Amino acid sequence: VIFTVPLGLLTLLAIPAIIVIHLFRRRFPPRRVAGLFLWRSVRVVPESGGKRTKLPVTRSLILECIGALALSLIISGARMRPDGINEHLVILLDDSISMTAANARGESARDRAVKRALTETSKLRANSRVSLVESGDRPGLLLGPAALAIEAPEALKKWNPQAPHHSYALGLRLARELAGSTGRVMVLSDAPPELPGRQEVEGVLWVAVGEAMPNVAITAAQRTVSPDEGMAAISLTLENFSNTTAHRTLRVMTGSTEVLSRQIDVPSGPVSLNLPLTTGLPAVQVELSHDALKLDDGAVLVEPHSRIVGIENRLPDGRGHEALAKAVSAVSGVTQAQNADLIFEAAGEIQKSGSPSQWHVGFGRPPSEILAPGEAKDFVGPFIPEKRHALLDGVTLAGVVWAGASPLAVGKVHPLVSAGDQPLIAEFGDNAEKHFFFNLDLNRTNLIRAPDWPILISNLVEMRRNELPGPERWNYRVGEWIHIQLPQEPKGKLHFRCAGLDHDLPSSRSLEFVAPAPGGLLQVMEGDRTLFELGVNLLDRQEGDLRSAVTRDIGAFNAQATGVRTETGAALDPLFWFLLIIGAAAILANWCFPEARRHA
Amino acid sequence: MSQPQIDWNSVQTVAAAFRIAAPRAPVGGRLGDRLGAGTGSSLEFQDYREYVPGDDLRHVDWSAYARSETLTVRLYREEVAPRIDLVLDISHSMAVTEEKLQAYRELSCLISCVAGWAEADARIITTAAAEPEPLRRPEDIERFLVCNKQKCALEESHLPFRRRSLRIVVSDFLFPHEPDAMVTTLARDGASLAMIQFTLAEEAQPPAAGGLRLMDVEDHGELDLILDEQAVEDYRARFNRLRLGLSRAARRTGATFVHITSGTPLHEVGRALVAARILEYS
Repeated sequence: VIFTVPLGLLTLLAIPAIIVIHLFRRRFPPRRVAGLFLWRSVRVVPESGGKRTKLPVTRSLILECIGALALSLIISGARMRPDGINEHLVILLDDSISMTAANARGESARDRAVKRALTETSKLRANSRVSLVESGDRPGLLLGPAALAIEAPEALKKWNPQAPHHSYALGLRLARELAGSTGRVMVLSDAPPELPGRQEVEGVLWVAVGEAMPNVAITAAQRTVSPDEGMAAISLTLENFSNTTAHRTLRVMTGSTEVLSRQIDVPSGPVSLNLPLTTGLPAVQVELSHDALKLDDGAVLVEPHSRIVGIENRLPDGRGHEALAKAVSAVSGVTQAQNADLIFEAAGEIQKSGSPSQWHVGFGRPPSEILAPGEAKDFVGPFIPEKRHALLDGVTLAGVVWAGASPLAVGKVHPLVSAGDQPLIAEFGDNAEKHFFFNLDLNRTNLIRAPDWPILISNLVEMRRNELPGPERWNYRVGEWIHIQLPQEPKGKLHFRCAGLDHDLPSSRSLEFVAPAPGGLLQVMEGDRTLFELGVNLLDRQEGDLRSAVTRDIGAFNAQATGVRTETGAALDPLFWFLLIIGAAAILANWCFPEARRHA
Repeated sequence: MSQPQIDWNSVQTVAAAFRIAAPRAPVGGRLGDRLGAGTGSSLEFQDYREYVPGDDLRHVDWSAYARSETLTVRLYREEVAPRIDLVLDISHSMAVTEEKLQAYRELSCLISCVAGWAEADARIITTAAAEPEPLRRPEDIERFLVCNKQKCALEESHLPFRRRSLRIVVSDFLFPHEPDAMVTTLARDGASLAMIQFTLAEEAQPPAAGGLRLMDVEDHGELDLILDEQAVEDYRARFNRLRLGLSRAARRTGATFVHITSGTPLHEVGRALVAARILEYS
């Protein structure tokens, strides 16, 4: 007999409690009488209290003890099956995309891994347990935890490795946690463990089922456009992971239309290609003729559309105006415009436009609503920046003389840089509009000659650019974070489609999600309307290199694994029903057939 | 509980002073030496009535005819050996104490002796489930007085009584019952009924004894009680109601009823039975 909830045995304390109750129950000296019914209406003495007397072994005591014992054993999960201890095999499956590399016979490492997993599970005894873990940056369970071994074949059919290169550490940790001290861990990969100075992973049977093969992969791809020249281009980096030159056909397609086809020889190592392209083409598919690993032989590239930030310099003529113009000219992707996205002006002239599309950056004497009484001061430091703010990314303010800082009303602004309790750069406004205020006299400070000045202006521009509608980039690697700013609040259901995968997105103007494997053309949609098309590509150099793949068993199972304790549920255990019947019968008998009727 | 011995000599000595009283109602039975309530051929004059053809001419009162010129016949009491159905309560309650059992056995033997000397056709009934046993010798009664039954015979229905018999019932009547219905049932078929309630003295007058666990000897019920004055008073009231119920029911049906408690000397018991017209002095 085993106990699935040993703490439940504490309920056995009910038995001594019952005995104590019976022991201290009040008892009068007995007297045999005839005609007890004549005493029926006489006042009955309460039965509680009393002194300890010799414990009478009554039917009631026996039935109550039997009932308590049966219920205690049920609560403590008593099970009769001695086979509650079963083998537990945790298999960590290498989910990286190199597992799909196929040899000349069309057999992939994934196929060999499935065969080996089925072989291992078939060796397990009946009722043994199996957990299947997929490796990755976020490892997941394909089966289990501790599922029946007979479920493994069906789960393995669904296994389709698609993850980019990743560390096995997280997956191995999850597998070890699932196995604990009771299970055995096996890793199925196409490569040996990456352990510096060691060959084996302690307590883990590492089964490498890979096969070293030559492979040519697209390891980098970029699509550029020059609107001024009306030209576009695709830049590719191909890498030949073999010692011999490989001959390949390179095709560029838009839908079913071939745009470009070229025969190329790829020598061992990386090769860069630059392919001219006309502007305005939709997403193009770049394809190499297939080899061992098909998934790295293609790339989808979308023509990028850069987000231009409109800038207006309203600062009065002088050192400040000139310094700003110079700094802005060094930033790409900007244009001078009226009522622009980003307006630089004297702080006292900042007007609340109420438009969230306009950011105002003020310099000089602050507006009256945030100005406090007092004289302006100069500061040479120390400056206390809010380092996490994007505006101050890379800003040090070393050697800066901050001149003409006016005192500000407490609580009116959110300081980003302070000197003591004096805010020097502050943010104010509400959600409808964003204002930055430089509490600074541009004509006297040396900030505009310091290296921090162009950094501050560039940061401001990039912050503003990130708030403009559109994706941050148009082409991504699998696993990268995709950031998209929608032009307005979504009205329909947001979702994306990529390689047959349809995934819902949170309803928000600002979208962030991971580029899904295995990549392809990703469509961000609102309902049935496509908002953006993005390219998602594998571009994984490490997965494309199949030269280190081996077939070998490394290490051994943990010999100390004791097996996992399992149960098939109370309903299938005869002891549960036996205890239930005994307990219920004892309680009913004690209830329905009391030993002594209290009222004759 | 061991069976106490019966001192038959003492019982027979006391019993010699008594005999079964003639029942008020006519009872059936073969010819005997006990005067019956009906008309018969004994020497004891009973009444006159007009002669009707077929009357025994030897009983014509010629003197009366001389005086009134009307044929009149003398009627004499009949002499019978009465049918006695003796119902004994042999339930556990009659043996709740040795004292009660001993006194009950002596009372039963007294009645047995008196019935035997009357050469009556006596039978003993202890249950409805078995045929009544004839009482051929007074000593035969001793084997019935074991008192090990769970229920009193009176709690059973359809006791095997004979018509127009003299029914003597001895019990403590300490079981839940409806007096009128029970007594009517016992006295039907033209019977003459005599009920003797026999209890312990403390069953009729229990003392205040403090805390006790009362255990019924028949149904094994238990009751924890503090027998204080109030509790005893309550009990006495209920016991008296039970006794009065039996007494009234007996009066309504023409039966006799007497309550006898243990500890009463046997000759006093005999007197009590005479006072209740169940026995008479011989």
